[in-house]
Amino acid sequence: MEPLNDKELSQILEQWKAPGAPPNLEMPRQREPKAARSAHEGWWRVPLTRTTHSLCAWFMTGSIRIPAPVGVAILIALLLWVYSREAARPVATPAAKPVSLTDFQPVKQLQPRVIGRANEGN
Amino acid sequence: MTGAEFKAAFDGHKDAVYNFAWRMTGSADVAADVTQDVFLLLLRASARYDPSRGALRPFLLGVARNLALKRLHQESRWDVLDEEQFAAEPLEPAETSEMVARAVSELPPLQREALILAQYEELSLEEIAVAVHAEVGTVKSRLFRARENLRRMLSPLKSRRSVSYGTIK
Repeated sequence: MEPLNDKELSQILEQWKAPGAPPNLEMPRQREPKAARSAHEGWWRVPLTRTTHSLCAWFMTGSIRIPAPVGVAILIALLLWVYSREAARPVATPAAKPVSLTDFQPVKQLQPRVIGRANEGN
Repeated sequence: MTGAEFKAAFDGHKDAVYNFAWRMTGSADVAADVTQDVFLLLLRASARYDPSRGALRPFLLGVARNLALKRLHQESRWDVLDEEQFAAEPLEPAETSEMVARAVSELPPLQREALILAQYEELSLEEIAVAVHAEVGTVKSRLFRARENLRRMLSPLKSRRSVSYGTIK
């Protein structure tokens, strides 16, 4: 098959038309320009409010990407820390029952038994 | 860059940027995303554009080119081909514009971008070199190889044209 010459190729390539940008393609908007800020607005306030606002927004919708090995290491460290805390905690013993001397009674019948050296094994 | 200047840049170049991204990626959605990103970058970092290095359009198309190549890499739409070894085969007959689209999309990306910028965006070799961060000689050689490949791929259209427009004696 004979290849196309330069003119033919250009003519054929021109037949591939691009659609052009769709009408709903929005122009990116510029943030509020510095000049539009209120003259009464202190220079120190603007970044602070914006930072606070963006921080709040981040807390609501933000996410942090952590590499899997780091995530696993953090999880293991956390589990070890919890485990070591549990192990170090002193075992709770039940409180001793208060003893009163009122329950003590004198021995009613005393029968002392003398154990001799010969019966020492008993 | 003032708001008015930015609006003029958007109105004046959005079609060129969109069309370039559309031809490079073959996707309307990706082209719209790339166009948005190009102008967002211009808005946020207009200092990156240095008028002394050339006109705004080649700069914007250069940004679009980087973004489009990044998207294509992410989506693994093509493998990096050895451009020297690339030899196109003639395509199966189809509608002319469909065949052209298919042939251009089958070119290696560096040849494709050179061809689109030269043929459709009508940039000079020097402007293309700025846009694709390459030497003029390199651009020339990519363009030559792109056209050679297209000549072969689109050769079935020649016989059809000669049938359609054949001279009657």
